[in-house]
Amino acid sequence: MNSQNSKQIDRVQNEAVASLSRRQLLLGGGSLACLALADMLASNGSLRASEVVSDVQGDSQASKAVVTRSPKVKRVIQLFMTGGASPMDTFDYKPELERLHGQMLGPKDKPEGFTAPAGAIMKSPFPFQQHGETGRWVSSVFPEQAKLVDEMAFLMAMTTKTNVHGPGTYMMNSGFLLPGFPCLGAWVSYALGNLTDNLPTFVVLPDARGLPYNQKGCFSAGFLPSTHEGLVIQASSKTALPDLFADQSKFGYATAEASQDGLELLQAINGKFAGAHGGDARLESRLASYELAAKMQLSAPEAFDLSQESQETHRSYGLDQAPTEDFGRRCLLARRMIERGVRFVQVWSGPQGAVNNWDNHGNIQTELPPMALSVDRPIAALLRDLKSRGLDQDTLVIWTTEFGRTPFAQGSLGRDHNGGSFVTWLWGAGVKPGVSYGQSDDWGYQAVENKTWCYDLHATILHMLGIDHLKLTVRQNGIDRRLTDVHGRVIHEILNS
Amino acid sequence: MFNQTRRWYAFNIRVLLVFCFIALSIVPCPGIELADEVDDATEKERQLNFFHEQVEPILARHCYDCHSHRSQSIESGLALDWRSGWESGGARGKAIVPSKPEESLLIRAVQHQDAKLKMPEEKLADSEIELLIRWVQGGAYDDRVSEPKLEEPRDWWSLKPLDQPSIPAVKNADESNNPIDAFVSAKLQQAGLSHSPAASPREIVRRLYLDLIGLPPTIEDVAAFEQDPSDAAYEAMVDRLLASERYGERWARHWMDTIHFAESHGYEHDVGRDHAWPYRDYLIRSLNADKDWATLIREQLAVDYYKPDATDLLPALGFLGAGTFDLSTYSTGPVTFDYIDRDDMVTQTMAAFVSTTANCARCHAHKFDPITQEDYYSLQAVFSGVLKGDVGYDADSAIANERRRLNRLLDAARRRDKSILQSDPAQQMVAKWLQSHRDPATWSELRPVSFVSSDGATLTRDDNGVIVASGANPETDIYTLTGQTGLKKITALQLELFPHDSLPMKGPGRCQNGNLHLSEVAITVFSAGKSSGEPLKIARASADFNQEGWGIERAIDGNAKTAWGIFPEIGKPHQAVFELAEPIALTPDATITVVLKQLHGGSHLIGAFRVSMTDAALPSVAIMPADVRAALAIEETQRTESLNLLLAAHAVAEVASGQLQRLPEQSQVYAVGKSVQIPAGNGKYQAGAIAEPKKVHLLQRGQIDKPKQEIPPGALVVLDHARQSFAVSESMTEPMRRAALAEWLSHRENVLTWRSAVNRAWHYHFGRGLCDTPSDFGRMGGVPSHPELIDWLAVWFRDSAGGSMKQLHRLIVTSHTYRQASATREEPAGVDSENRLLWRQNSHRLDADAFRDFVLSVSGKLDFTMYGPSVQHFKQSPGPQSTPNLDYATYDWNTPGSNRRSIYRYVWRGIPDPLMAALDFPDLGLLSPVRSESASPLQALALMNNSFVLHFGQAMADDVVKIEADPAMQVKIVVQRCWLREPSEGEVKTMMAHVSEFGLASLCRVLMNSSEFLMVQ
Repeated sequence: MNSQNSKQIDRVQNEAVASLSRRQLLLGGGSLACLALADMLASNGSLRASEVVSDVQGDSQASKAVVTRSPKVKRVIQLFMTGGASPMDTFDYKPELERLHGQMLGPKDKPEGFTAPAGAIMKSPFPFQQHGETGRWVSSVFPEQAKLVDEMAFLMAMTTKTNVHGPGTYMMNSGFLLPGFPCLGAWVSYALGNLTDNLPTFVVLPDARGLPYNQKGCFSAGFLPSTHEGLVIQASSKTALPDLFADQSKFGYATAEASQDGLELLQAINGKFAGAHGGDARLESRLASYELAAKMQLSAPEAFDLSQESQETHRSYGLDQAPTEDFGRRCLLARRMIERGVRFVQVWSGPQGAVNNWDNHGNIQTELPPMALSVDRPIAALLRDLKSRGLDQDTLVIWTTEFGRTPFAQGSLGRDHNGGSFVTWLWGAGVKPGVSYGQSDDWGYQAVENKTWCYDLHATILHMLGIDHLKLTVRQNGIDRRLTDVHGRVIHEILNS
Repeated sequence: MFNQTRRWYAFNIRVLLVFCFIALSIVPCPGIELADEVDDATEKERQLNFFHEQVEPILARHCYDCHSHRSQSIESGLALDWRSGWESGGARGKAIVPSKPEESLLIRAVQHQDAKLKMPEEKLADSEIELLIRWVQGGAYDDRVSEPKLEEPRDWWSLKPLDQPSIPAVKNADESNNPIDAFVSAKLQQAGLSHSPAASPREIVRRLYLDLIGLPPTIEDVAAFEQDPSDAAYEAMVDRLLASERYGERWARHWMDTIHFAESHGYEHDVGRDHAWPYRDYLIRSLNADKDWATLIREQLAVDYYKPDATDLLPALGFLGAGTFDLSTYSTGPVTFDYIDRDDMVTQTMAAFVSTTANCARCHAHKFDPITQEDYYSLQAVFSGVLKGDVGYDADSAIANERRRLNRLLDAARRRDKSILQSDPAQQMVAKWLQSHRDPATWSELRPVSFVSSDGATLTRDDNGVIVASGANPETDIYTLTGQTGLKKITALQLELFPHDSLPMKGPGRCQNGNLHLSEVAITVFSAGKSSGEPLKIARASADFNQEGWGIERAIDGNAKTAWGIFPEIGKPHQAVFELAEPIALTPDATITVVLKQLHGGSHLIGAFRVSMTDAALPSVAIMPADVRAALAIEETQRTESLNLLLAAHAVAEVASGQLQRLPEQSQVYAVGKSVQIPAGNGKYQAGAIAEPKKVHLLQRGQIDKPKQEIPPGALVVLDHARQSFAVSESMTEPMRRAALAEWLSHRENVLTWRSAVNRAWHYHFGRGLCDTPSDFGRMGGVPSHPELIDWLAVWFRDSAGGSMKQLHRLIVTSHTYRQASATREEPAGVDSENRLLWRQNSHRLDADAFRDFVLSVSGKLDFTMYGPSVQHFKQSPGPQSTPNLDYATYDWNTPGSNRRSIYRYVWRGIPDPLMAALDFPDLGLLSPVRSESASPLQALALMNNSFVLHFGQAMADDVVKIEADPAMQVKIVVQRCWLREPSEGEVKTMMAHVSEFGLASLCRVLMNSSEFLMVQ
């Protein structure tokens, strides 16, 4: 970068930071230069958006536009139970169901989104017990998480607008029932940028058996720049990131040396070109992007190498046992990534489809326990591990799903979709441990007290990250779009201070 | 008509709030000391600020939708957008008692204190409620003393009448005569700026090629223009490119972005649409043919109405099928589905053609633009008679005509329409049919030498040749009969079923209810001396009775899961006839094997039956309904008129359906129709149909459980041209509804349409529209930099160019404004850093599609094959449910078709191609009128290491090595191809150093990553 040019860039950046928020930069009339500049702000080592936005003491105006307070949380792990995890068989104890078991009390006409007419009231096939000092009721399917309930904050009356997987999974991730909207992870990446240059900002770890509902739609950047979409990583594959290195088995010429020398040649060529086209920040941004790519090549393999973890760690996450191996591996990977500066990690339990997930239409007694078993120990290990490493000081973990299930039987043993009420828990930095907020009705059918929507959950998470959900907006087709649409209330009741 | 008028009136009395609190007039109260007056003034200012900054936004956000002048009707008569509103209150009385929050209804309502008065439904945040209480407690200061002012709804640039402004008289850059330059110069001069000089010949040729056809020029093209950079040469180049078929391929992509066209549903069941591509081909052909804009609008919305005979154009309706389809909600939440799916069509249509965000009025009147909820739902009603899915069409209009003729005959037969059935052509058909059915076929029993059950049933043959099953009653069974008939040839096989006392409900089936299911029938002939048999093809089957959904055709469809049944006609004899595709001659010693597969399960098995054969000529052997048989048995002279009509109807139906079956199969396009086949994954389809347009209701707050009045089809009332096309709304049928909207959209008076079209074209030529939100011309959209230029272009495009896009392109790209250099200049950059005034051209990075095509082009491998099914750049395997797994990583780029242009790429909505996504190919879950342009480390990794780049880097090197042996020359050639210029000596030297160690392919890879390759100056 020649010095005059570099000065110019610095001037542009400083002016930009002094007068514009990141969002305004991106939307500065949609100009391409602004876009590139904004992206450079996010990734350029000298001036990271993460610093700009989260350092409220700094002199940047950008921070004031979005940030409300000094953030408690810097990184997030989102655990998503695909299919609609049953609340009344896990965390939402409903003794009334035992009393009414077998009675036909449900809606007579099939509600929208139910896959079958409602059957008789069905009690949970699993025994519940109280745990911890808080005395939270947890069913026998989650013995390990039960030991940690005092550290969690429960939203016991989450509700949603749909009983259908696709829209429901969209809603819990992007706040909208429709495709094309950025998910929580993408908004966070957009607002805060990265914590490290060495790894991607937003990583997705899908179930080894397949993608969740909506395929990659729930990791999409929607109308935000594609940089913010979740990077899907197959935890079991040998190559850490897709296209991290050339596949030499297919392309013999692309050896490590050729790649290295080629990159140097490229940077020389591109540097010269940028110099000859002074004032075009995008060209500088392109130069920077290759530098960062090289950094990732150096760091990523180590980050994904689980062999560096002790046998004991492997065991604690359940990597030594078939039922917990896949989810355990991904929880462990999530910890390694969070530890190394990845901002947002999604870990999915279960693929889409009729089996191997939480969509237990056929038989709760046989279909739910294997799913619960596959996640229970890994989740507990993850929380303990984060804590022992002090990562709980700035990491938030969320356990959630797209909707709940009916208190009425489907067939005679399963449960149908129910957006009326479901459970989410939060753990970690900024979370008030052991609290419970909201309540469903006596059947667990509808949320009745202190109902919370995805909007409230998202507003709360953004708040914990130091972001005012009302101010994080992008104008798109005539509307200033927010993650929280036109809703959202920060649930202070579950926050520490 | 009445309805429209009423709405228009309703709109006029509606007001839009204008916030005008600029002047803070503080009137001191008499009798107060001066010092206090100052304090008081400060206090009032504080209160004023508190109200406007903290309180009013809460009211605006949560209450105004229903309780303000801008809401469609002020609910309960309570307006909160001015002081008198809450003072006089609504139906329940005064809303606020200043200083007494506990007595104020408003406070009680927001606190959700009374079960009957919880406002709004979604409770405010505690902090908001506290602010409201504080405000009321403090005296409810409110200076909004005048009733909210009326705003003229069309007082906005895009809605104003479209008059062509006069061309400014300015001295233009380069003495251009192009009106565009005059408009741009006028603005530049006002700001003390000027155009940049023309771009270099190399830059402009490269820019123009990539812009108009999406492909790079060759270095020879560049050299030719460098030799003769005259205007004439430039214009000739423009004309050549616009005439190229590559033009349509490039510009179709832009439109497909705009309307979120992709080839899978999206959502949970992200099923592929293998018949979406004919719409893409329609677009390419139409753009290349330069159809005028109004025609394009009409065809895409209602070609079936405008050109019913041009059936080859039916794929135009793929426009309405471009978007997402939630198969899961379609199946389980049909009411929700209807509103959401129509919303998709409304949003897309209004954004694409009139740059309007009508969808913002789904839950409440548009907050910023003059669009009512009624407008929005009237647009939904336009589309309430169609469903998305595969629609059949005949690309050959002669076949379409024949099909129509035969279907009309079938319909006439069904209706027993005398005028048609007794017409001459029909009577000729009838006569011929009667002739061939004069002699009933004689059937010869297949005398079996063996007859066995595969699953252990006992088969016994009685004296009449009837075989009766008894004993074991398995779930499924297969009967195999082998024997001879004594016939010299056979044309058909007959299966007779008989009731029998030994069977449940007397049969003829073995199922508890007397039914049976025949899954498949197979006939094989074994001739002497031949080791293997000859399977006979069955062309047609008929039966005396078909169970609903279990027709006899299901016994010959090759699908073991479908079958023929006879329920509820049990306890009676039945017959089925299977006609061979061709008569088969039999040698005397030939044996015939008949296999009757009964695989449905539940013991749906045949109980008593006989098999026979005939040599009678076809089609006289087909089974006829009993009444037809009875009529035929009566002497011709004795038949009554009604019997003759019955026979004529049957004969015409038989002949017409036979001829229909012989017509070539219809092509399919994923579009919209009344009756469609919805792709459901794994090669399956779900039939969907809408008999009559569904009723559309205005939904309060957009909630399906709160339907209000029914809304007929219509458009935006604020633009009231062409409303007569909606005038017959009550009786309006499909596709008149869509045509009415097309009329409204394509009308010369539709000021939005013409502005939208020219601005969208401008956007792609300059990387940014004159209004930089090409699909939103509302108050939330961008403010145009040159509104007069948009208007001038819009009128010129509509009137002088007759809606010709190619003429518009030509006008734009021949302007100096387009041809000027893109390099920045210090002085104008200081005044207008964003280049809104166009003192230079904008540079940009190649978009994903152009990058890919550029790589293919320079590798020498670009395949120019046009049209047809899309190419899948992934391996497909079955997924956990109907969405397949797509593997992009291991795709073999040697697969035929993989080097065709990007427009022929199969775009899977929910599982994007990683390379294309890294280069900002949009998420087509939503409309994408503007692509973003990012640079990130993940993009860099994709550009360096994705198999596409590596494969075609190698391909390019191979191609160059074939034509040039000298290594230095090879380097020169690859640079020429990628950069369209000669490399400097220094560059050759540096590159040679790399090539000598790592090979030419490695250099190609580097060059494909270079900014000089990726950036368009």
